[in-house]
Parts: sequence; structure tokens; C-alpha cells
Amino acid sequence: MTKSWLIAVRELKERIGSRSFLLLSIMGPMIILLMISMLFVLGDQGKQHWNVLITDPAGIMENKILANEDKSVNYSFGDSYLEIEDFRDGKRFQEFDAMLEINEKVLQNKTVFVFFRDKPSVRMQTRVQFHVERRLEERMVDEFTDLSVQEFRKIKQPMNVAFRNVYDPNDESSDKRGWVGFFFGAVIFSFIFLFGMTILRSISREKSNRIVEVLLASVNPRQLMAGKIAGIGIAAFLQFLIWGLIIGLGLYLMRSYIFTNPLEVANMDIQQLSDEGSRYSLDQMFQAREYNEFVELIFERVRFSTMIFYFLMFFIGGYFFYASFFAAIGSTSGSESDGQQFVLPLVFILLASIYAGYYSLENPDALIVDYLQYIPFTSPIVVMVKLAYGYGPGEAYQIWLSLIILLVSSLLTMMIAGRLYKNGILQFGHRVKFSLLIKWLGKS
Amino acid sequence: MLEINNISKSFYRNIALDDVSLRVNKGEIYGLLGPNGAGKTTLIRIINRIIEPDKGHIRFNGDLMTEKHLEVIGYLPEERGLYKSMTVEDHAIFLGRLRGLSKKDVQMKLNYWLEKFQITDWRIKRIEELSKGMAQKIQFICTVLHEPDLLILDEPFSGFDPINVELIKQELIEMRAKGKTIILSTHNMRSVEEICDRAALIHASKKVAEGRISELQEERKTGLYAVKFRGNMIAFVNALWVGFEIEDKEILGDDRFVVRVKMRGDNQFEDLLKVLIGQVKIEAAWEVLPTMQDVFIDLVKVKEEVKND
Repeated sequence: MTKSWLIAVRELKERIGSRSFLLLSIMGPMIILLMISMLFVLGDQGKQHWNVLITDPAGIMENKILANEDKSVNYSFGDSYLEIEDFRDGKRFQEFDAMLEINEKVLQNKTVFVFFRDKPSVRMQTRVQFHVERRLEERMVDEFTDLSVQEFRKIKQPMNVAFRNVYDPNDESSDKRGWVGFFFGAVIFSFIFLFGMTILRSISREKSNRIVEVLLASVNPRQLMAGKIAGIGIAAFLQFLIWGLIIGLGLYLMRSYIFTNPLEVANMDIQQLSDEGSRYSLDQMFQAREYNEFVELIFERVRFSTMIFYFLMFFIGGYFFYASFFAAIGSTSGSESDGQQFVLPLVFILLASIYAGYYSLENPDALIVDYLQYIPFTSPIVVMVKLAYGYGPGEAYQIWLSLIILLVSSLLTMMIAGRLYKNGILQFGHRVKFSLLIKWLGKS
Repeated sequence: MLEINNISKSFYRNIALDDVSLRVNKGEIYGLLGPNGAGKTTLIRIINRIIEPDKGHIRFNGDLMTEKHLEVIGYLPEERGLYKSMTVEDHAIFLGRLRGLSKKDVQMKLNYWLEKFQITDWRIKRIEELSKGMAQKIQFICTVLHEPDLLILDEPFSGFDPINVELIKQELIEMRAKGKTIILSTHNMRSVEEICDRAALIHASKKVAEGRISELQEERKTGLYAVKFRGNMIAFVNALWVGFEIEDKEILGDDRFVVRVKMRGDNQFEDLLKVLIGQVKIEAAWEVLPTMQDVFIDLVKVKEEVKND
């Protein structure tokens, strides 16, 4: 045990001391942060000018809306009710990008649907919401109170404006949460691949520079392999912690300074809203109201505490499971380049597993996904995706079952790899053939 | 010290060692000789418990050998490497600790060796900064750092430069004087003659000979004697008459020769000297023993012939 530990510590020191570790520790999370913020920003891409048809059969808005001087949105009013199919397919409605439906009870139910053809940018959504909200506020104030609009705006509540795709009015294809699970799973697999390759390289390098024989005179092959996998695993874990820390800090800073939540009172300038002159500085106001679904997703919808716990468990299980394959390849290869060929099938398995994760993202309820979540090759990513969607009540046993299967299989593969390692590590200059591997497996 | 009893090992269908038994005594340098592929390295790996024998057992100081004995063994394999990115000191600490030393012990002992080889400034150098010869010294130091009772060196002189070879030979002789036991696997026969006390020859997976170096040479001597003299070569030849046969001669210049002579019939070395005295001026005369090289080739040849029959 002590000897395995010595091997592990040496391996860990070498990893941490290497330049690539440092580079990856900083560049990796930076790239991810950059990607996240690009998703945030890209959420803002879309048509810059919108033609909106307001259907208002009850005439609640009195054909008036706050900001007709806003060049980016052009409103037209219709005084009859329109089915979305008619709007979608009707020839004369093709010039409109969206239909904004003011129902007769809007002042009570405070809900307005905007049916769009192409998803508007977040900025556009915010604008439309802002315009409609202001106009309906005026109407509500008229209808229900003796207050002035300014007085009302001081005590007002936000209006729920739900943006829906005309082709999917019930918003059924929302898989945003699943993406977070997929992301976690993909991180597991990237780390497995990255550090699996490190194991492979480290073993075949020791083999080719023949230090392994010196080591084997002091430790047995299993101790050597276990120490190596553990050392590199700790390095991977450390790297992950650094990633987590930097990404966490980055998200926190983004939340505080860049992508703030507009619906929080602290972030709203009520004074500015109640000022009549504010309609001329709309753009300025929108800066404070930048908000989009990715921001919402990452900051509001993911239950990080649960995810992180299972993530770590599956990270460890998946790492040991796959690490044994990499170790076996490294130890049985005759030369450094020989091993590379055998990596290819393993890479295919890794890619297939990532695809399995994507498949469960698209079809979380498919029967095959229920099986994939138990197969140790795919379980780390599939469970992550399913976790992100949320397991139903009474289904939590599935996670634990999957985890137990994964851990037991890792023990098994470690034992098999140990056997291959022991028989292969002192063989040099041969070409690896399948029959040879079977032979080595057969020897104790 | 080390008893190797009836060790057999085969790799699938290839027999690497066939019922090999050896005895290495305490405080001796023991040569393990044999052509490439004879099974020397396999035997050494079995002694180091890197691989397990199919049959047979090894006793160390009378006890059945176990893993704990590895701490008093030092092993320098034929194919030896170092971690290139580690410093000399870190490397020594790592290998030393694997052999059961504490970090402090390693540092102390490393100091001793670095000073002895006058290379104290290498301590913080990385292995990749060292030349091949320098790295060889470090390898040797790492092997003996824990002051092993038994030192096993597999082809220690291959790849070493002559200066290092000499240095290591001296170290080995010094260690033997301290009562350490050394097993030397090599096919450098000169070094065997120079420093080994006893040797075994392994050929085609079997032990074909074992004994003191002088005994091995004695067994294979061919009754050849050499005479170094000054005088006339014709006079020398005339003096020999029929009882002796000249094997070869070497002309040294200034009328001096070395002639190797074989006895015929019952003639002895003394008879040779008697017939020569007065005919030439004898400077030296000695019995020609085969070199270990000759012994080695002879043994291997005999073995091959037996096999072919």
C-alpha cells in the first residue's frame, strides 16, 4: 500500500509539475467560461427589426402602444381573434414576424402570448415585453385604480409574457436542463480521455525507457499499476477542482456584473421607469434588462448541489473503469506507437458513449435509455443527463444501482487490467495480437 | 547466502530455464555467464521476484525467499532507465523509499556517494541534463543506495564507458571486502577473470558448469606451456626433440620469443625445462590456462555438439 502510494505521489508530482497541467488548468476553464458567455451573447442574436401584429378583439389597448418611436419594432393592430394556424399559414400575415395575442381578460389574467416565426433575440423579447407591459399598465391603472400611472409603477408587479414558437405552442421541446447534464457527462468523458491517455503514455514511456524493471524489483506489478492510476486520478481530480473553482468564480462574477437578473428589484431603476422621459432612453434601460435563457438556465434551473455529488461519484467510477483499459493497452503494447492503434477502438467507445448521452438528451424517456444508464460504458453520461431532467419520485434507486454496477465493473476491469499489466509489462518489441492478449489473460 | 534450487520457467512453449540450481556464497562476486538468450535475465528476474518460477524455490540466508528480502537486494537491470524529468535527488529519494529507506537516510547516503564520485553539484540536476555516462553513475548509485547485502547486476558493463567500468569494478571489489555478495551477469569475460570468485555458465536454459574461476580454467586446460626465452629459435627447436610439440610462437624482437609447447607422451613441464636449459636463455615459463573466453566457447561448443548428436 505504502509503495503504491509512493508511486502515486511521484506520478502526481510529475503531472502537477508539467507545463501542460498548468496550462490546461487555466486555459480549460477559461475556454468553457468563454463558451458559456458566448452562449449568453448568442442568445441575443436574431432579427433586428420586428413586424408585430397585435390581435386585440376587445380593443383593450385602444390601438395604442407606448413606443411607436422605437424603430426596431413596428406594431399593427387587428381587431379580431386569429387562430395561430391562420396566422402561421395565412398569406396576408406573412409580413408579420409575430402575433401578439391580447385576450379579453388580459387585465385579470395578466398573460400575453407572443407567437413568433423565428425565435427573437432576447433584446427583442425584452423590448416587446417592455412595450406591452407599459401600455397594459396604463390600461389597468385606468380600469382599477384612482392612482396615476407614476404612482402605480412604484408598486407594480412584473407581467408574465410567455414567448412561444408557433410550431410548438406548448413548448414541449425544451431540453435545456438536459443539456446541463450532457455537459457534465461530457466533462467526465473529456477528463477520462485526457487522463486515460496520460496513463497510457506514462506506462508505455516507463516501458520503453525500461525504468519499469527497476521499479518491479521493489513493487509488484499490481501495486505499480494501482499507484499509477491513482496518482494520475488525483491529478485529474485536482485539475477538475481547479476548473470548478475558476468556472464557479467566473459564473459568479458574470452574474454579478454582466448578466444580471432584471426581475430582481435591486436591478430595476424604478425611478427611471416612472419618469415619463424614460421612453426616450429605452436603449439605456435595456442594458440593465439583458437576460436570456442560458443565464436563467445556469443560474436558476440547475440543482448544482445534487448534480455535483453524483457527478463526483460517476467521475471516480468512470475514471477507474476506463483507466484500466488505458493501463492495459499501455502495458501490453510492444512499442509506444503500437499502443496508439489500440486506443482507436477505445476512442470509438468513448465517442459512442457521448452519443448515448446525446441520445438520452433527445429521448429521455426512451426504453433504451433505461438500459444505457446501467451499462458502465455509458452510465456516467446517461445518468448525468437523466439527473438533469430529474428522476421521478421512487426512481432514485436507479442512480444508486447504476453507480454500484459502475463501481463493481471498475473493480473487475482493474483486476483484468492488472493481469494483462503483469504479463505484458516486461514484454518488448512484439506486435500486440488478440490471441496474445487472451494468452496473457489466461496466465495468473 | 543464496540457494537457487531446481528453478524451471517456460514462456508458453519456450523453455527459458530448465531445472537450474546455483549456490552463491556470502562475500563473493559470482559470475553468471552465458550467451544471449540463455536465460540469465530470466533467472535474475526470478531472484528479484519480478516473475515467478514454474518450479523450484530460492532460499535467502537459509529462509525461503519472500518479498521482505527485496529490501536487502539491489538490482541494476540490463535495460535500465531513469525518469528524465526528475532531479537526481528526487530520483534517489523515490527509489530509496521504495526500498524501505527514509527520506533522511536517502539524503545522507546520496551525499556519501556524490562526494565519493565527486559529483555533488549534480544533486539538483535533472536526469535529462546528464550525459549518458553521468546517468549510468546515478543508476549505479540508486542501486546501491540502500546498502544491499546482495547486489545483482545484469550486464553492468554494457553501455558503460571504460572509465565508469573501471570505477564500478573498484566499487564492487570494495563492496566484496565489506562482506557484500554480488551476482554479475555478463558476457564480458575479461571482467569475470578480473573480479569474479566463482561463476556458473548457463546455456540453452541449463546450467552447464559452476565453480571457482581457477577450477573452471583448470578443468579445461589443454596441457599447454609457454616459454619466454632469448636465443636462437633453431636451437630451441632442436632441443625439443620428439617429446614435445610446438603449438605456436610469438616473436618479440631482440632475439626474444614466446613459444607455446604441448607435451607428448609422459613428458612433464620439468622435462621441458631440463631439455631447454643450456640451449636458450629462459626468461620465464608457465602453464597456459584457458581464458574464461576459451572456457565459455568450449563449454558452449560441447553443448552444441551433444545437442546435435
